[in-house]
Amino acid sequence: MDTRQSGIQQLLAAEQEAQRIVNEARNAKMARLKQAKEEAEKEVAAYRAQMEAEFQRKLAQSSGDSGANVKRLEQETEEKIEHLKSQAENISHDVVQMLLKHVTTVKN
Amino acid sequence: MNDTDVSKQIQQMVRFIRQEAEEKANEISVAAEEEFNIEKLQLVEAEKKKIRQEYERKEKQVEIRKKIEYSMQLNASRIKVLQAQDDLVCSMKEAAAKELLLVSENDDAYQNLLKDLIVQSLLRLKEPSVLLRCREEDLQLVESVLGPAKEEYAQKAGVHSPEIVVDNKIFLPPAPSNSDTHGLYCSGGVVLASIDGKIVFENTLDARLDVVFRKKLPEIRKCLFNLVVA
Repeated sequence: MDTRQSGIQQLLAAEQEAQRIVNEARNAKMARLKQAKEEAEKEVAAYRAQMEAEFQRKLAQSSGDSGANVKRLEQETEEKIEHLKSQAENISHDVVQMLLKHVTTVKN
Repeated sequence: MNDTDVSKQIQQMVRFIRQEAEEKANEISVAAEEEFNIEKLQLVEAEKKKIRQEYERKEKQVEIRKKIEYSMQLNASRIKVLQAQDDLVCSMKEAAAKELLLVSENDDAYQNLLKDLIVQSLLRLKEPSVLLRCREEDLQLVESVLGPAKEEYAQKAGVHSPEIVVDNKIFLPPAPSNSDTHGLYCSGGVVLASIDGKIVFENTLDARLDVVFRKKLPEIRKCLFNLVVA
């Protein structure tokens, strides 16, 4: 009689233990899935930071280029204007004489 | 069955129950790990894609802004050059206008010029009767060439000698004094009109300069620019 009783108790205890083991595994699974979200967020944040850094680097570089371009353009413009001025000095006298000639010459 | 056998069986069953539980727990654990990885990967990839698109858009905007800025600067510099060219050409006209004032100082040449201008105006108007206006300081010279002018015109046009009425009341403005280059002035020449005043022909030196200048402008610009390009 006693052995049968303790036997059943042993089995019941084993079942309980089994249940506990399975529940523990299920809880661990839930926790792990939550971790997925957290770790994903961390990775994404790191990726964003990387992209931002790259973007800023490109931005700084291109604005440096633009600055150089503007200077070059300004210099070219000044050179063109200087050329014009010296050219004007060269031809001014002839142009004036030509204009005067046409004004004072009448072909009737 | 004796007690030992029962006990043995019970132990076996206990072990079996435990084993099954651990196997199940293991399965759950493995599945959890797989789901963890899949879930994490999906989340990360979805967000990364969004971020990539966002930065692509940002970079494009920067590109566009750069292009617009450069184009604006290019335009501004072109306008600057064109403006400089225009200024230079205008100062040539001003230089000519200044020298124009000297024309009326040489009486002989100027007198002849006045005659030619009057004949030309008559030929253009083709009127038998005209009004003539000149500067007050030119009045004498003008009146001295009226005769020859009428004759020359009559001969060239094959008509009778025209009637020229010289306006003695209203004159063309005088040559500019040094201080007053902004007021009205006239460097010389004449203005003729049909007797009813409806057709007017401005043959002043200033009007002629305007006409010549406008006509020759493309040529002058070409001279100016040609050597810059080269």
